[in-house]
Amino acid sequence: MSGPQEADDLEDLFENAPCGYISALANGRISKANRTFSTWTGYGSEQLVGRRFLDLLNIAGKIYYETHFAPLLRMQGFFNEVALDLVCADGTTLPVLVNAVVRRDDTGGVRFIRVTVFNASDRRRYERELLEARRTAEQASIALQDLNATLEARVAERARALDRAWRLSRDLLVIARADGVLTQVNAAWTEQLGWQASDLVGQSFVAFTHPEDLAATQAAFAGIFEAPLTKPYEYRLRHADGSYRWFAWTGAFEEGEVYATGRQTTAEHEQAALLAEAEDALRQSQKMEAVGQLTGGLAHDFNNLLAAISGSLELMQTRLSQGRLNDLDRYMHAAQGASKRAAALTHRLLAFSRRQTLDPKPTDVNRLVAGMEELIRRTVGPSVHVETVGASGLWPALIDPPQLENALLNLCINARDAMPDGGRITIETANKWLDERTARERDLPPGQYLSLCVTDTGTGMPPDVISRVFDPFFTTKPAGQGTGLGLSMIYGFARQSGGQVRIYSEVGQGTTMCLYLPRHYGAVDAEEAPYALSTAPRTEQDGTVLIVDDEPTMRMLVTEVLEELGYTAIEAADSAAGLKVLQSNVPIDLLVTDVGLPGGMNGRQMADAARVTRPDLKVLFITGYAENAAVGNGLLEPGMHVLTKPFAMEALASRMKSLIKD
Amino acid sequence: MSVIQRHNIKLAGIGPATMVFAHGFGCDQNMWRFVAPAFEGGYRTVLFDHVGAGGSDLSAYDPQKYASLDGYADDVVELCRALDVRGGVFVGHSVSTMIGVLASKKAPELFDALVMVCPSPRYIDDADYEGGFSEAQVHELLDFLDSNHMGWSHAMAPVIMGNPDHPELGEELTNSFCRTDPEIAKSFARTTFLSDNRADLAGVTARCLVIQCSEDVIAPRSVGVYVHSNLRNSELVLIDATGHCPNLSAPEATIAAMKAFL
Repeated sequence: MSGPQEADDLEDLFENAPCGYISALANGRISKANRTFSTWTGYGSEQLVGRRFLDLLNIAGKIYYETHFAPLLRMQGFFNEVALDLVCADGTTLPVLVNAVVRRDDTGGVRFIRVTVFNASDRRRYERELLEARRTAEQASIALQDLNATLEARVAERARALDRAWRLSRDLLVIARADGVLTQVNAAWTEQLGWQASDLVGQSFVAFTHPEDLAATQAAFAGIFEAPLTKPYEYRLRHADGSYRWFAWTGAFEEGEVYATGRQTTAEHEQAALLAEAEDALRQSQKMEAVGQLTGGLAHDFNNLLAAISGSLELMQTRLSQGRLNDLDRYMHAAQGASKRAAALTHRLLAFSRRQTLDPKPTDVNRLVAGMEELIRRTVGPSVHVETVGASGLWPALIDPPQLENALLNLCINARDAMPDGGRITIETANKWLDERTARERDLPPGQYLSLCVTDTGTGMPPDVISRVFDPFFTTKPAGQGTGLGLSMIYGFARQSGGQVRIYSEVGQGTTMCLYLPRHYGAVDAEEAPYALSTAPRTEQDGTVLIVDDEPTMRMLVTEVLEELGYTAIEAADSAAGLKVLQSNVPIDLLVTDVGLPGGMNGRQMADAARVTRPDLKVLFITGYAENAAVGNGLLEPGMHVLTKPFAMEALASRMKSLIKD
Repeated sequence: MSVIQRHNIKLAGIGPATMVFAHGFGCDQNMWRFVAPAFEGGYRTVLFDHVGAGGSDLSAYDPQKYASLDGYADDVVELCRALDVRGGVFVGHSVSTMIGVLASKKAPELFDALVMVCPSPRYIDDADYEGGFSEAQVHELLDFLDSNHMGWSHAMAPVIMGNPDHPELGEELTNSFCRTDPEIAKSFARTTFLSDNRADLAGVTARCLVIQCSEDVIAPRSVGVYVHSNLRNSELVLIDATGHCPNLSAPEATIAAMKAFL
């Protein structure tokens, strides 16, 4: 290659190389720049010569060039791959990589400084992207670390909270293996059972279970594997002191272990035991009270009857001694009647014990009710209106009629007692078809029944009373006025007959008592047993005595005695009827009355009521029962006297005579 | 680690007085390689690297301590005391001139004389004061540093302190005379270019020599004049040199000025 051609070639290479070439003098001023550099920067060669390289840099480049690269060049004679930004003629920035080397002559003097400039636009962009990616990655990493830290913190916080709950729980908490061996227990075990964790862990719960509860507890434990124990199961665990404590357990089986919680219920058990004891004691005292009532009631009834029997016998003796033999029949019948009623009384007692012999017959209940109506009216008194609503086409019932009569009467008496100020009694019959569901509710086999319902407009009963009305001896009546056996006997009769008794009651509204009676499939005999009511004979004599007693024999006997004495007797069977007479204009010299009376008032109350219009009315209470409270606790007002049954007719006669004469 | 190791201290020379050379922003004790030997005959010379530069203990770098020049000045006091410097000469370049001012105020017994090569008590213009940079320019510099450009990293950390991420960066890139950790360099730049030590000049009791280059983009002449006029006991020498490092570009003139002063 010839010289000029070579020079041209080198010139071309210098000018058009793919990098910028600058030559600078020892003082740093540019002496030569190639075309490539001029093209990149937009400065013509003439604009570059004489300037310093650092004049082309941005401010950071100037400072770094001056503080770092210039010293380097001085010290080591070169620097390589320094990233700088050139500020071009048009104000734009050109990223470049710069190498520089000092060329020296043989004496070590600086000939020139060769600066090579590479266009680093692409590289700088990659770097920017790479830096951006690295920043993003670092941020993600930081975010991840934060998240991890947060999660760790949350997990730790949660673990702390769980630990706190475990530690602070007052209930026993336990984790056990499937074989029942305890693996973890909380501090409540020590507090509640006195065992340390080391006493428990590794032991089976069996070791601490009350022997009596063991089988059931093992069964309950086995059940946890089938389904979580959600309904608390109670058993006794042994305390470190040897005593036992009740705990109610719930638990579940998860991932091979049983998790359970036990709440101590010892106190509840002790309370329940105390309550049961108290209830027992209360029941006992109620029973004693009931026995007292029963005894009193029976004594009352029997004394009445005994008075009637002994009175009859006494009069028979008198008549025999007088030779008046034709009157004997009356007294004999009276004594026999009283004896029969005494027998009936024992029958009722047997009915209460459900040991009576029932004689069920096909019965037309409507007809039975109609036959009873007059008796019921008289029994409940004039202040109570009685209404009967017999269903037409009523099925016949298969029951013991006298017992049904007895039951109906009892229901009506209860109804009356619930209406001290009077009211209405409705007696209703109906056919009932009990389907499966209703029958189950009524505790009866499904099928056809009749209902006999007695509804009153009385005080009604609260639920706690309703629940107990069939209990034997339960009564709301004052002592001596009932045995408390009425409803119990009705219940016994109904159940024994294959029926049921239902109560619907609302306090202040009234009560409906319904007897469900089994249907008889077939016809009914036309037989009827009408009730005859005795009417007492009355005669005008020297004095007039009103005798009020629900025991007819008693009335008859007293009447006999009065007639013997030449007095006129007026009879009344209950307080209402008695008061009616007392409130009339009929002159009354003496009131002889039983204390325990039907008709809404006892004898004392009737007497007090009578004294409003007859302030001087003389009163003789005859009572078969020491109803001191009823009479006035022994503090009788003037003109009031008591004769206790049984008594000799003679004693009665002389007492009445002296009272009338006073 | 002892203060000797921490600052990569190099001792040379023999003499009744000690001359301590402190490098500025951008390099390490190599900056003095053309100057320090000239004084080994009459002085005990001390060369050291600021923490974060050259062969210093990078682990000793505490961003809070070195956020102000006081941190660097404390180091100077500490190392001088460790070397039992009294009545010595402090030779500082660039920002280290102000570190020397602060150190001599903290411990006046250390230095009888301060040699200030291209000093600047404040780089940013302020009212009548001409520091050489507008506030915008300094922020441009700091923003540029914050962009953490890779190229800068390469340039700044030629040896990258054995950076395992870049084993490919071989000797051909080793700008080995100017080792600096790029992150620390960034902080040092911030500390340097935001500093304002004008008020500290008044309390300096030592004799001072201000060496000013005729053409210096970092510390213009006006700054040299300002420093000189605000130091009670100072001389100003103007060296006909381009750039900010007469200790490298004009070592003879620098040595001559110093010797004349001392």
